[in-house]
Amino acid sequence: MTNNNPLIQVKNLDLHFGAFHALKNVSVDFHAGELIGLVGDNGAGKTTLIRVLCGIYTPSSGEVFFDGRKVEKFHPKLAIDQGIETIQQSVGLCDNLSIARNFYLGREPLKRILGIPFLDFGTMREKSSRVIRQFGLRENVSADDEVERLSGGERQSVKIGRAVEFKNRVVIMDEPTNHLSVREREHVNELAVQLKEQGLLVIYITHDIFQVHKLADRIVIMENGEKVADASTDSMTAEELEEVIRQGGRVVEKREAV
Amino acid sequence: MKQLIQSQGFGAIVGVAVMLAVFTVIDFSGWWTVQTVSNVTQFTAILAFVAMGQALVIMTKEIDLSVGSVYGLAGVAFITMEPTLGVPGSLVLALIIAAFAGFLQAVAVVKGQLPSMIVTLGGLFAARGIIYVWTGGSVHNFSPAARSHPLTRLLGGELFGIDAAIFWLVAVGAILSLVLWATPFGNRLLATGGSRESAESRGVRTDRIKIAAFVLCSLLAGFAGILTLCNQPQTHVTLGENMELEAISAAVIGGCLLSGGRGSILGAILGALIVVSFRYELIALGAPSSWYITFVGVVLIVAVIFNQKLARFLGHSV
Repeated sequence: MTNNNPLIQVKNLDLHFGAFHALKNVSVDFHAGELIGLVGDNGAGKTTLIRVLCGIYTPSSGEVFFDGRKVEKFHPKLAIDQGIETIQQSVGLCDNLSIARNFYLGREPLKRILGIPFLDFGTMREKSSRVIRQFGLRENVSADDEVERLSGGERQSVKIGRAVEFKNRVVIMDEPTNHLSVREREHVNELAVQLKEQGLLVIYITHDIFQVHKLADRIVIMENGEKVADASTDSMTAEELEEVIRQGGRVVEKREAV
Repeated sequence: MKQLIQSQGFGAIVGVAVMLAVFTVIDFSGWWTVQTVSNVTQFTAILAFVAMGQALVIMTKEIDLSVGSVYGLAGVAFITMEPTLGVPGSLVLALIIAAFAGFLQAVAVVKGQLPSMIVTLGGLFAARGIIYVWTGGSVHNFSPAARSHPLTRLLGGELFGIDAAIFWLVAVGAILSLVLWATPFGNRLLATGGSRESAESRGVRTDRIKIAAFVLCSLLAGFAGILTLCNQPQTHVTLGENMELEAISAAVIGGCLLSGGRGSILGAILGALIVVSFRYELIALGAPSSWYITFVGVVLIVAVIFNQKLARFLGHSV
């Protein structure tokens, strides 16, 4: 499924926050059609790396290439325009807005009335509810309902539906199953695999190596701001990868793959 | 009906209905006179302009304490520059000064990452100080020619016996409501106040949205100052003093939550109507004018409790 040229290529990335060295010489490739598990303990640097990819942080040094082109400027808007969608548990939806308004936030469809551009409410309602229903929104929930009425799984459905609707090329899922019920967790994991099968690059961040090992093609492990392992799930078991995390990356050299 | 109840201005609609019912019962002959209704609506129109701007800023989860001083500063600029620039020129200059005051404060809040309460408190004192220096503490008036200028009459005159300010309020209020409800800018403004981090993760430039809200707020305050002086063309150094508190009260009574992301233009207008009506009726009933401040405080607290209970009843987080 993957093609040889990486969709995202990170080269020798360093990021400092004052005296704190958050990312240390990180290099990693991500390909379209791959589901990558990005794993590590709290403070390992996985979310920091992702925040560089989605334009929130600008690296101190190093390079990022997207589809072969060097990224010169880092901003969330630019990342979104390039087709990088980030799905986070606690961020991404505004509770005070309706599902339709959240779905199109930042990319609102417009309809001109007397030459003045207004929100195209018809399109917003119709398309958002059609797309999100495919991902598990209840029939009795309307696109005009505020998202604060939704369950945790439904909230993720809105974000995932958004990623599909806007034909994104990369979907980054940051701890997407935190605080979800068992059924909702399974649902979100199925959606991650669906996205991968549609040819998207899916980067799945989690603490749970066993959960992501079942889904992912490849696992990248971060520790203290460094990449300490990059192995296909065929080459290492979840138990072996867990040992890598436990040893702080010291056992990885003999098993590094890909 | 469901949409009306769920709208942010519903609490204010109930408040206005209750207030009118009470005033009708206790002072029917005094309240429902042409003179009273005319005065109340005129004062409401002026305060509503300031309250609408304040509501926009509060919806972005910020606050602007400088609006009273900006209102006064724009008014002073309008009158004192008129002999040099003429009515249209001084009007444009006054609006530019107001917008610039809003812009400066917004940049300090957004780029300096400073609390808006502190920055705009500084703005309140700074603008008021400029008014004292500019006027030298003396009263300025329009010349007879400026008073009869078509633009002065368009802004401060009457049409069919109704003050021009009311027509301006209806027009500007309708446009702002439409902008807030039916444009990408409005959607992004509410998102910025609701969850800035989420809005930014969608690519919304929340800094620009906040700057726009502050500039609009100051422009509306400045325009209200100009409307006031077109109607009564005389300045004094206290022009607009304490108006920021009335404007914040009006916006909050009208359903704006200080937690951001919720509010309406109609609510701010109705909130202004409630504040002005209480002031007018208390004076009409012979209460000492100093009681008015106390009443506004009580109404404000009652309105916040009512709006919070209403929000919880509707299942909103507050």
